[in-house]
Amino acid sequence: MTTLKNASSSRLFVYSLLNSLVVTLGCMGVAWGAEPASPVSFVNDVVPVLTKAGCNMGVCHAKAGGGQNGFQLSLLGFETWDDYESMVKEGHGRRLFPAVPTKSLLLMKASGETPHGGGNKLPRDSEGYELIRRWIEQGATYATGQEPTLVSVQVQPERGLVNMGEELQLKAEAKYSDGSTRDVSHMALYESNIASMAEVSESGVVKVNDIPGKVAVMVRYQGKVSVFTAAVPLGAPVLTVPAEKNFVDKHVFANLKELGIPPSPVCDDATFLRRVTLDICGRFPTEKESEAFLASTDVNKRDQVVEALLRSPNYADYFASKWTPLLKNRRDAASDITANFAFHAWVRDSLLANVPYDQLVRELLGATGTVVSNPPVAWYKRVKDPKEQLEDIAQLFLGVRMQCAQCHHHPFERWSQDDYYSLAAFFSQIGRKPTGIQGEDLIFHQRGLAQAKNVKSGEMLKPMALGDEIGEISPDEDPRLRLGNWMSSKENPFFAKALVNRYWKHFLKRALIEPEDDIRDTNPPTNPELMAALEEYFISSGFDLKKLVKAITQSNTYQLSSMPNEYNLLDRQNYSRFYPRRLQAEVLLDSIDHLAGSTTRFANLPPGTRAIALPDNSYTKSSAFLKVFGRPSSASVCECERIQTSSLAQSLHLINSGEIKSKLAAGGGRAAQFARSDSTVEEKITELYLAAFSRKPQPEELKTALDYLTEPVADAKGQPAEKKKPSLKDYQDLIWALMNTKEFLFNH
Amino acid sequence: MMRQLRQPLAFVAGFCLVTCLISSTAVAQLVCLPAPRLLTTMPMGGQVGTSFDVTITGDHLENAEELSFSNSGITATKKLGKDGQPVPNTYVVTIAKDCPQGIHEARIMTRLGVSSTRAFNVGLFPEITRTRPNTTLENALKLDLNTLCNAVMTAQNIDFYTFEATKGQRIVVDCAAKGIDSKLNPVVIIADEQGMDLLVERRGGMLDFQVPETGKYVIKLHGLTYEGGPHHFYRLAVRSVTKDELVPRLPAIQMVSAFSWPPAGLTDQSIRPETEPNNQHAQAQKITLPCDITGNFFPAADVDTFEFTAQKGEVWWVEVASERLGRPTDPSIVVQHISGQAPDEKRTDVVELSDIASPVKISSNGYSYDGPPYNAGSSDIIGKLEIKQDGVHRLQLRDLFGGTRNDPQNIYRLIIRKAEPDFALVGWALHMNLRNGDRNALSKPVALRAGATMPIEVVVVRRDGFDGEIDLFMENLPDGVTAAGLKIPKGKTRGIMLISAEANAARGLTSAAFFGQATIDGKVVTRPCRMASMQWPVKNAWSEVPSPRLLADVPVSVSNSELAPITISPVENKVWEVTAGEKLSIPLVHARRSEFSGANITLKTFGTGFEGVPAFDAPLTADASKVDLDLAALKTQPGDYKISFYGYAVIKYQENLEAVAAAKTALMQAQQEADALAAESTKLAASAKTAPDAQRASAETAAKEAAEKVKAAQAALTTADKQLKKATATAAPKDIVDIIVSTPITIRVNPAEKAN
Repeated sequence: MTTLKNASSSRLFVYSLLNSLVVTLGCMGVAWGAEPASPVSFVNDVVPVLTKAGCNMGVCHAKAGGGQNGFQLSLLGFETWDDYESMVKEGHGRRLFPAVPTKSLLLMKASGETPHGGGNKLPRDSEGYELIRRWIEQGATYATGQEPTLVSVQVQPERGLVNMGEELQLKAEAKYSDGSTRDVSHMALYESNIASMAEVSESGVVKVNDIPGKVAVMVRYQGKVSVFTAAVPLGAPVLTVPAEKNFVDKHVFANLKELGIPPSPVCDDATFLRRVTLDICGRFPTEKESEAFLASTDVNKRDQVVEALLRSPNYADYFASKWTPLLKNRRDAASDITANFAFHAWVRDSLLANVPYDQLVRELLGATGTVVSNPPVAWYKRVKDPKEQLEDIAQLFLGVRMQCAQCHHHPFERWSQDDYYSLAAFFSQIGRKPTGIQGEDLIFHQRGLAQAKNVKSGEMLKPMALGDEIGEISPDEDPRLRLGNWMSSKENPFFAKALVNRYWKHFLKRALIEPEDDIRDTNPPTNPELMAALEEYFISSGFDLKKLVKAITQSNTYQLSSMPNEYNLLDRQNYSRFYPRRLQAEVLLDSIDHLAGSTTRFANLPPGTRAIALPDNSYTKSSAFLKVFGRPSSASVCECERIQTSSLAQSLHLINSGEIKSKLAAGGGRAAQFARSDSTVEEKITELYLAAFSRKPQPEELKTALDYLTEPVADAKGQPAEKKKPSLKDYQDLIWALMNTKEFLFNH
Repeated sequence: MMRQLRQPLAFVAGFCLVTCLISSTAVAQLVCLPAPRLLTTMPMGGQVGTSFDVTITGDHLENAEELSFSNSGITATKKLGKDGQPVPNTYVVTIAKDCPQGIHEARIMTRLGVSSTRAFNVGLFPEITRTRPNTTLENALKLDLNTLCNAVMTAQNIDFYTFEATKGQRIVVDCAAKGIDSKLNPVVIIADEQGMDLLVERRGGMLDFQVPETGKYVIKLHGLTYEGGPHHFYRLAVRSVTKDELVPRLPAIQMVSAFSWPPAGLTDQSIRPETEPNNQHAQAQKITLPCDITGNFFPAADVDTFEFTAQKGEVWWVEVASERLGRPTDPSIVVQHISGQAPDEKRTDVVELSDIASPVKISSNGYSYDGPPYNAGSSDIIGKLEIKQDGVHRLQLRDLFGGTRNDPQNIYRLIIRKAEPDFALVGWALHMNLRNGDRNALSKPVALRAGATMPIEVVVVRRDGFDGEIDLFMENLPDGVTAAGLKIPKGKTRGIMLISAEANAARGLTSAAFFGQATIDGKVVTRPCRMASMQWPVKNAWSEVPSPRLLADVPVSVSNSELAPITISPVENKVWEVTAGEKLSIPLVHARRSEFSGANITLKTFGTGFEGVPAFDAPLTADASKVDLDLAALKTQPGDYKISFYGYAVIKYQENLEAVAAAKTALMQAQQEADALAAESTKLAASAKTAPDAQRASAETAAKEAAEKVKAAQAALTTADKQLKKATATAAPKDIVDIIVSTPITIRVNPAEKAN
């Protein structure tokens, strides 16, 4: 290999001779007066040109399976030796013409002199063109023998305050192993993490738009990355903020003050009760709960209701419905039912018992035995491929997306293929034995040395946790448990962060790092201090999920009104107000049943089972409602599988579907009960408002409803008669109308 | 012309016949002739020293007679109604005061013989049987502490119970289901009075509940998948126990693998406990060999390390029991030789031990069975340890399922001993291996129709290097029933026991004894052979996982309500002699008592020395056939052998012809009675018309009563007619495929020299 690198073939050697000759002749003939022909480095000079020109992007020559028209480059130039081979050796060396470098196919194509699907990427007068020409001229070697290696790239400035509408030129400086530096601002690639907040030009000019908050620009140069973080202030006067109830408020309000975004006030009791009951238990408060809470004068009643909700089995049901789709509790065959019910119940029971999160993950990761005796084994029934296992674990519990690193170095991260297969090695000793149930194995630790093969290099790799050494693992030890130890260690930079970020998003709609499972240096949190504080709190609590929920929901940040003030309407990431969101499919279905007094029956489950307690995805398949409103199908570890956007189909379903009609018309439903009941119409309207919005109707709302229900009908002569007694249909209509309001459909 | 046609026609006819046979097997969903099966009893047990009513259900329980048990301390009589007549399917069961606690077995004698068995529990606590629905919190059933409730799970529902307890009290709630033959996977929840869950158990464990406040608590019980119905029965016990009391689980039946535990003669005399901490090499517990240690796989990822000294050339046998004690564990052992001193000590693997392999290939649950659906292996250990060099050795014992589980009840027993060669046997009714995707796993009682031979597949787990041959025999069989053991050959793991009933055998039932016998180190050793059976008649193992288990005893019956469809036997019951290397022709007699689908049965051969006999066809339409055995091809060595021929046949089965005959008789009697009453009525009506005034009233009354009787007789006639139609419909011929086995044949192969 070494000899190849320096003079890869006799053909090249001849080219080099010819080249020298040409150079010599050139020097003799024309004194260009240009800069002396300093050695051009393939790795440090040529590859960056290709990267900046976009030649080695995934859509061009770095496309998997042969690149473009047979010319394959590695993605973003991570595999420089492969790129060298492609350019110099492949195609019988036809891509370079050392005798006349400008006639090299590489340059002819890149400069558009020969038809090129990618267009004119390197004009003849460009610096990049000249560099490559000189490299060919100098012999097109892989290494000059003297070039240093790239150590890092640093962006300057690293952070700063940039006002709306302003621009800022970023400078990228590469540092090399010999201590030298180079300004690579013009060669680096730039990418904003929120394009709507800040755009960045090819040359590194950041232009900030009119959305306040934190935005990051990733600067990438030859596999090294650096991040510029801009604070974009709104600059409005922040005269008062609500009281700081805990560390959450401290960091959120400090950020708001820094950015000049005045927060909305704390919401009223009714809104809070509805919001927190929906977020913790996935249901509306009952009318009784609402009345009691509204009537209470206890100053701690909000904290108390959080405590009570967390004790309720509804909390476990609701959060199990969050976790089980991510853990792929999927029914592919009828015989999966036992495994799926057992797995769902395991998650649910663990949450109910408030099993520490690290223990929960450890039980899943190190599951052994049969599904019925140890339900987390069901995860290994669903996820059989070790590669999928590591990818799911990394994405779900560490917030790290490793998929890219299976085939090439991660483009935005430090993860290499070695990191990928070292992580796979933890799953290399999973033994399986068949059971009486088709497709269901029992799982055990197969004694042996844990290792996995890097399919590219062929090297057998021992387990390493995202670059961290975890020590020798004896053949008798289940490596998955060692991975579990590493994950739950207090120093782990991913584990707690991934969870608090995920839970923060659950309650506040937007994660501190978005997407919530893409945590990397180049995607910083919008409030790093808050993120660090949440992590520390969660770790020091012993990974106590209920305590984390308490810290979030008992904060005034969570309890801010969703109504914007004159300044914070544009705020999407600083939590200056509560961001409303549509109810999840299951919650909405339960809520409609709650309001209409109807029930939905689910196969194999007892009457009264609520949609949030459904164990697997088979119920999504069989329910048009759940499908339309985006209940996930348990195929992915990404929360994005749950559709939270709105659609026309959803509106039509609510307005006019047979399912909703039948719920309104349910025999024992609320409308039917109202039609039979002797209580006053006002009392019934109040009950409906409490059921739908957890509050009593405003006087004007009461009047509107009353007018509608008791509107006099014309007599035979067309004269208005007396106020009518509301009919069954009138009540159905009113319930239908409330059901279709935004106030009902959203958690706000 | 006719001659030309004949051949193709014959071919077509033959083809049709073959097709019919194949297709009748392929579509015949009916496998195995009807066998009586006791499926449920309610209640499923009772308190010692009590007497109570038990109702039963099952398959083919017509003419159910004696309900009997595996322990003589439990007796039953038919329950009589107010009219003095037996109440159908109801018995009065009495449990003697000295009856041992635990699981016994119930079975019922029927027209077709003894039924499959059902677990029947005997305990100390008062028991109740749920008699009303309790599927809501409002109608929850109140349980007193220290009582046990027998109930059936309501499908897609939750059963609610309540109990009252005082603050600080320790309450243990246990639910027996799988362990008493139920199909239920129980989920048991203790909730507060409002039904809010406090403590949940879904893996079949007990709930150990510290009562937080004095008051009422709710027990919610449902199936893991909310399954329910009559076959999903359970026993729920609520016990108040003291703080440190070791609370035993409700008793449970044994899985098949348990047959190989304990080794014969094992006592607790030299037992020692493991001593924690012993997870690390540096903490190894010092032991000397031989040893007998108890311990548990606790806490999670527990490793028990033992250190001993041994000399090169020593051979030890290592046995671990844990799974066979009913625990969901997978013990694994590594023994290493240690040289040098820590931290530089060198460890060299000596042996790695895990799993007792199944003695025979078990079904892989593929398209159809490719082996028996019984696993006589275990995740426990029996293995050999050969010491390769002098010095210190360490043995590490782990539970391969124990990485994350924290259950102190996951106990084990580790025995290291010098070789004590021995064996353990288990048998089950031979299962059919059909090739048409059939995956039935039916429970098969040893209920012989007179004239039938039933094959029992017997497998052996050999201990400590024993590889000798094992003879099989049975005792205490009903009159007219004989057993012939086709021995387990040297070094092999499988034998066959043939149980045959004579065609004229009288109805009978015994609890038989089943043994294997071998000569070990010059001594004759006899060991019992346990019997195993499926808990349920599983028709398709893909939709319901078969659950085989050990039986408490070996009930064997013979019945003569129906005879075997065919008996194939040698023309003479004698020892058939042949010289090694020569041919033996054995005429067979076919005593046929049924029609068959297809003209022939393809027979293979059971029995050492003759298993290589090529499959041959025997007619199902003739009364005799002949089998030729080529000793030269078989290369069978001189000696005494027992063999038998077996195959599958599709029987045109007519169920319960006795019932048809009885219904016919009943109808005839009813007709005669109705005719007689009608004549009498006519006569009385005429007399009433002509009776003198003084007697007219009484004559009219008599005539009226007679007319009423006629009406009743007509109704009885209609019923009898319906009964006949029903019996006739039941008896309509159905294609059922079953195993046909010949009676055993004894062959003596004489040495060739002797012949010379």
